Amino acid sequence: MIDVKSLSKHYGTHHAVDGISFSIGEGEIVGFLGPNGAGKTTTLRVLTCFHPATAGSATVAGYDVFTQSEQVRAQIGYLPESVPMYPEMRVREYLHFRGKLRGMTREQRETSLRGVVERCWLGDVVDRPIGQLSKGFRQRVGLADALLHNPPVLILDEPTVGLDPSQIRETRRLIGELAQQHTVLLSSHILPEVEATCQRIIIINRGRIVASGTPEELRERVAGTSGLIVELKAAWTEIEPALRGLSGVTEVRGTPDGSWTRVALRAAGDQREAVAALAAGRGWPLRELRREIATLEDFFVKIVAGAHEAQTVPVE
Amino acid sequence: MRNTTAIMNRELLSLFCSPVAYIVIAGFLLVTGVLAVFTGSFKPGAPATLRMVFEFTPYALAFIVPAIAMRTISEEYRSGTIEALMTAPVSDAQLVLGKFLASLVFYVIMIATTLVYLMLMMVYGAPDLGASLAAYIGLILVGTMFVALGVLASSLTKNQIVAWMIAAVPLLVFVWFSGWISRAAEGWWREVFRIVNISLHLDQFNRGLIDTEGVVFFLCTAAFFLFLAVKVVESRRWR
Repeated sequence: MIDVKSLSKHYGTHHAVDGISFSIGEGEIVGFLGPNGAGKTTTLRVLTCFHPATAGSATVAGYDVFTQSEQVRAQIGYLPESVPMYPEMRVREYLHFRGKLRGMTREQRETSLRGVVERCWLGDVVDRPIGQLSKGFRQRVGLADALLHNPPVLILDEPTVGLDPSQIRETRRLIGELAQQHTVLLSSHILPEVEATCQRIIIINRGRIVASGTPEELRERVAGTSGLIVELKAAWTEIEPALRGLSGVTEVRGTPDGSWTRVALRAAGDQREAVAALAAGRGWPLRELRREIATLEDFFVKIVAGAHEAQTVPVE
Repeated sequence: MRNTTAIMNRELLSLFCSPVAYIVIAGFLLVTGVLAVFTGSFKPGAPATLRMVFEFTPYALAFIVPAIAMRTISEEYRSGTIEALMTAPVSDAQLVLGKFLASLVFYVIMIATTLVYLMLMMVYGAPDLGASLAAYIGLILVGTMFVALGVLASSLTKNQIVAWMIAAVPLLVFVWFSGWISRAAEGWWREVFRIVNISLHLDQFNRGLIDTEGVVFFLCTAAFFLFLAVKVVESRRWR
């Protein structure tokens, strides 16, 4: 449904998006994850034909975003990041206006308006001016607008920003439901958000894709080297060579804690049993032995923290 | 076409929801009212015509019309609604035309309020209705051109005040000073300023003449400004 090939967008010398490629199949929900300023919105704006790319190509539902802009736009329901709307219009008027722009007849508009108002829980505010609505309601009006013409492709830029926790849950559920009839590409800078809603995640930083895959795949990749936390009652000078001697251990760091020593070690695979056996063999009292399972969050934070690191961490 | 009318209707709704519309109409009525008094159009014995009022009206329109059109596109840029609008299947020409027509409809409504003067005149005298009709046609043609320039100015900036200035400054030059410049200038400059002298063109209509040169001048400049506005909006896609 969406095909992006080495897409770049430069603002002067700033490379907002730098040669990214990905493709999204029909009926997929894909999360576009990255820190603020990673190039998410820029990419989505290219896909929705709001501004052109500097290089590369993109197609949506088989139409080229540069040469067949109007056909592309007819296939897309787009929720922009800032949810811009006319404050003086009532919700109903606004949705009618948007329906007209999509070439819907009055009957079509009436029916689908009833549908989206119910789906996006707008029943109470449908006759209120948009300017009076809270951020959460505006967000839902934006979502209703994107769904109005039942487009095959939905592009949602940070759909849950500004919502309260229960609304966030409801919105996630709604997006999940939508995937049955639509292809969804949503962006977010919050990992649990994408993890909860998306079948596939594309992580982007500084305009480049640094990782992509299903949440499980990414988690596996991250868990490749796991960390152990061990607390032993012994001198650091004795502990260090002993632990280093274990197979697969790549890194050992110790901090003294009274007569105890707290050790953090990195190793390939699960080394808990070996560490316990070692402690028992040497007669060292052991009061903590814990495996730190790397989460996607750690991975993501790492990416956000440093670009250099991000470029070396990813995907072999 | 449907998109154009949808955009036009929405724009009119916004215009009449904001106080600006009523302030502009009130201001216009005030100016023309003052003109009616100062030109002595309603003095006993004066000829039953609004010609003197309409002769000076363009001077006021040079300020007022840019204020009608200044928000049309620049407000979309400023509030970001342009993003929602241009990611819907709407062409740049439809956007510009819809905004232009909305401003023009508003302008016509504003001009129509001066019919009150004409009716008053009909009560107390017998104004030449044919000539008045020609004068109104002239005013609407002038408005078409002014509104088109206002929309062009509005497409250039996200700041309404800047948009107003971009449109009002050249209009002021053309309306207020082009007669003076064409008298002072020599050679081809003189000819150029004679052609762009809006008051001169309008004068023909005020006399009751529907002057082809004037019709062509106003409509062609309007079309030219709208064409430029479409190009400006379009250029955003290539930047």
